[in-house]
Amino acid sequence: MDTITILRLTRDPIDLNALQRAVTTPRDGAVVIFTGTVRGQTGAHQTSWLAYEAYEAMALEKLRQVAEELRARFPLVHGLALVQRIGEMEVGEPTVAVVVAAAHRGDGAFEAARYGIDRLKQIVPVWKREVRPDGSTWVEGDYFPTPHDKAR
Amino acid sequence: MTLTVQVFATLKERAGAPTLSLELAGPITVRELRARLGEQHPELAELFARALVAVNREFAFDHEAVQPTDEVALFPPVSGG
Repeated sequence: MDTITILRLTRDPIDLNALQRAVTTPRDGAVVIFTGTVRGQTGAHQTSWLAYEAYEAMALEKLRQVAEELRARFPLVHGLALVQRIGEMEVGEPTVAVVVAAAHRGDGAFEAARYGIDRLKQIVPVWKREVRPDGSTWVEGDYFPTPHDKAR
Repeated sequence: MTLTVQVFATLKERAGAPTLSLELAGPITVRELRARLGEQHPELAELFARALVAVNREFAFDHEAVQPTDEVALFPPVSGG
C-alpha cells in the first residue's frame, strides 16, 4: 500500500496546515500533529530565542531511520512528516513537527507521533543554542547513542 | 593523508572553526581519533573524550575503524526538537 513520507530540514517557518494536507489521503480519518515550540519561560528562567544548527547530511539520514523504525512499529500509519526547522526562532514559533495520518485514531497515530518526536530528540544531529537576556549557551542533550542506534 | 573532522555546537564554538585536520598514515580506531585530536588541542581533550563520533554519517564507537577518506564528525549529545 502506498504511504506518504516527508522528511525535511528547513530554514523556513513550519506550516502545520500544509503538512497535514500533504500527508493526508482519502483513506485517512485521523491526523495527529505534534509540534515543539520555543518556550520563553521555564520557571524563573527566561529564554529570548533559540538558534538551531544541524549536521545536515547525517540529520537527513537519521530522520529516515526514525521514519523506518516508526513504520516498523506502527504499520497502520499511512502518512508521516518529520520536519525540523533550523536557524533562529522566536518564542512561540514551531521548531519541529511530527505529523501522523491513519485511517482511525486507534491505529497507533498518537503513539507513533510520540515515538517520532522522542526518537528524533535522541538520534538526529541537531543542536539548539539558547539566547537569554544575559548571554547564550549551547544546550546539550542527555542521550548517549549505543550500537543499537545505528540504522539497520 | 589528511583527515578532516567536522565539529558542531559547543565543539565548533570552542575550536573556533567548523573543521579540524588530522594527519593519518592509515586507519585508526575511534578511541585513537579522540586521543590524537586531544593531543593536538589539549584544551579540548576533555570535550573530545565524551563527544559523540559519527563516521560516514553513522554513530561510531571506540573500537571501530576510521579511514583517512571517511566523513568524520564529533559533536555533543543532540538537543534538537
